[in-house]
Amino acid sequence: MNCKPVAIGVEELADLAVGAAVLGTGGGGDPHIGAMMAAEAVRRHGPVQLLPLEALDPDDLLICSSGMGAPTVIIEKVPGGQEMVTAFRALQRRLGRQARAVMSVEAGGLNSTLPFVTAAELGLPVVDADGMGRAFPELQMMTLTIFGLPACPAALADERGNVVLYDALDNRWLERLARVHCVEFGSAAYVASYPLTAAQARQAAIPGTISLCLRIGRAIREARAAHRDPVAAVLAETGGFPLFRGKLVDVARRTTAGFARGEAWFDGTDHDEGRRFVVRFQNEHLTASEVDAGGDAGAGHPAGAGERLLCSVPDLITMLDAENGTPITTEALRYGLRVQAVAIPCDWRWRLPQGLGIAGPRAFGYDYDYVPVEQLAGAQAS
Amino acid sequence: MPRKIGTIEIEDIALGAAVLGTGGGGDPYIGKLMAAEAIDRFGPVDLIDLDDLADDDLVICSAMMGAPTVMVEKIPAGEEFVRAFEAIEARLGRKARAVMSAEAGGLNSTTPFITAAAMRRPLVDADGMGRAFPELQMVTLTLYGLSATPMSMADEKGNVVVLDCVDNLWTERLARTATVEMGCTAMIALYAATGAQLREAACRNTISLAQRVGAAIRTARAQQRDAVTAVLDVTGGFRLFKGKIVDVGRRTERGFARGHARLEGLGEHAGRTLEIEFQNEHLVARTDDRVLCSVPDLICLVDAESGEPITTEAMRYGFRVEVLGIPCDPRWRTAAGLELVGPGYFGYDFEYVPVEERVQG
Repeated sequence: MNCKPVAIGVEELADLAVGAAVLGTGGGGDPHIGAMMAAEAVRRHGPVQLLPLEALDPDDLLICSSGMGAPTVIIEKVPGGQEMVTAFRALQRRLGRQARAVMSVEAGGLNSTLPFVTAAELGLPVVDADGMGRAFPELQMMTLTIFGLPACPAALADERGNVVLYDALDNRWLERLARVHCVEFGSAAYVASYPLTAAQARQAAIPGTISLCLRIGRAIREARAAHRDPVAAVLAETGGFPLFRGKLVDVARRTTAGFARGEAWFDGTDHDEGRRFVVRFQNEHLTASEVDAGGDAGAGHPAGAGERLLCSVPDLITMLDAENGTPITTEALRYGLRVQAVAIPCDWRWRLPQGLGIAGPRAFGYDYDYVPVEQLAGAQAS
Repeated sequence: MPRKIGTIEIEDIALGAAVLGTGGGGDPYIGKLMAAEAIDRFGPVDLIDLDDLADDDLVICSAMMGAPTVMVEKIPAGEEFVRAFEAIEARLGRKARAVMSAEAGGLNSTTPFITAAAMRRPLVDADGMGRAFPELQMVTLTLYGLSATPMSMADEKGNVVVLDCVDNLWTERLARTATVEMGCTAMIALYAATGAQLREAACRNTISLAQRVGAAIRTARAQQRDAVTAVLDVTGGFRLFKGKIVDVGRRTERGFARGHARLEGLGEHAGRTLEIEFQNEHLVARTDDRVLCSVPDLICLVDAESGEPITTEAMRYGFRVEVLGIPCDPRWRTAAGLELVGPGYFGYDFEYVPVEERVQG
């Protein structure tokens, strides 16, 4: 593996934001806002170095920097930029130690680029890894949790200057306490969490996520420029599967307990003409199913009466604009959108029993076991 | 000169604090049991005067936060107080010279003795209210610009949260939501301040006052004198109403015990009705035609026979009570004080009038 740092400037950030929105599975925040903020920080402070995990000493300290809240709120209440730095510094002070690099908690429109704001402001590099390899709605849903790494001490800050430090019993308790504060702040807050060493990150984090985002973003951009199919380019970079092609005919969403929850219904188009699909989300897409018109659940997975499961968490479900391949976040879903839904197999760590306990279908309240999307896709094809 | 507070003194303090708690501040019985247990285990606590502190001595308040209705059923394990206190010391990088009570009323008059005993620190004879109030920014310290933060919260499960907020109202908001999430109770440490700051901003000798009120009730009972008169003599308070509780409505919402009680008059008040509204503590007492007493003055319900103070969660149909009004600390009567804890803050649209004027009117 290449151990040389890569400089991330304004152009790279644009690719990164688009690629991260693909892995963000509809959530992780609006890529445009994150990219703008990071670009502004990079213009002011210069490019940020992206370091592979291998380039770090085993006991180097990493701290994750992220935004938290409902994406529906964050697109209207844009962070000022200092919130992340405030939280990061509060955690460094609590630890009595400076971080060697900033890490991203998740690949998502906002949370893949916000660490670059923190890094640019503090003059630190960003490490080429993250804690999900995708986006998830809750703080404890990290591969770091699977490996027993505590999210605490963690710090939360808002745009007013309020700071909260947590030493929670476990990562789930951090999520509960930070979530109520996030709601109290106005459903947007900025977090520094999961202080860990590079050695721990090598075991528990997902390596190469940032460069994968960069590659996906670049593939979409180049495919568009060359008038090639951007969807095919995404599938080639990610090893993903096409799920369905359709037109959005109904979307219901509600912002509850700090989350954007809801479901979107699609009428199949092109080779999926005559079929009907539903995608459910909580910030991120959780499940994609085909709905049988006749109410027959068929031989597929018991997703619900008259439904056949196509893909579920922790595998990735991403909506791409059918024409130009632009990833579509859940808050941008609206009537008439023509989409190509794609599924991307999740990182192997999520398929461990502990991983499925944290982020499998049952962790989101669905009463069925996880089946890898490769098998579901195979069942569909047969 | 420090004065030793042992289990006997704690009895009087808890009893008097229940009067100053104006119906809230948590069940003093539980606080008393926990403080007595801590004193049995670690020895008596030195009660020191504010004047015994050097100007730059650090003092930190120790308290319990939450809904009294929950506190009586979910009793703290004990270590939470120390864990919260130590979190502030760690955050400040400094040891506190003494512990202080945030409120002299109810449970929180005795809980600081648990912290003081376990940490072998003296307790300052002062508090931040001279009574009990439902929200943590409602202390005279806020009037002097002192910050509640860094503030820490610990629960019985092992969670610790440290807040640094832009103002004391934000601290209340964030601490309250965390308290609700922790199960409606949390042990807290807050208002780290120096001796010089507290000499100006704190309510002096309120622990001693609670002890005197408690001793007065105890002595009056032993001598078969009227305990209510004894309370009024010590506090400079007034008899507002004597009656029987005929209706109580309470609900626990957003971490508070809110509700109302209706009393039918007895004796000279026969034929009249008194309505009391509370949010953890009593906020206003009024008859059909006029307000008899309102925050920030103290409204206290005591058993008409024994003088035993009655908390809002203990009120029930049939209790025969005397309703007393006690003048608050004069700082609560300033414009800034009334803005923080006057009738307007609690949603009432009448002007505050001191209880001694209302009684004459």
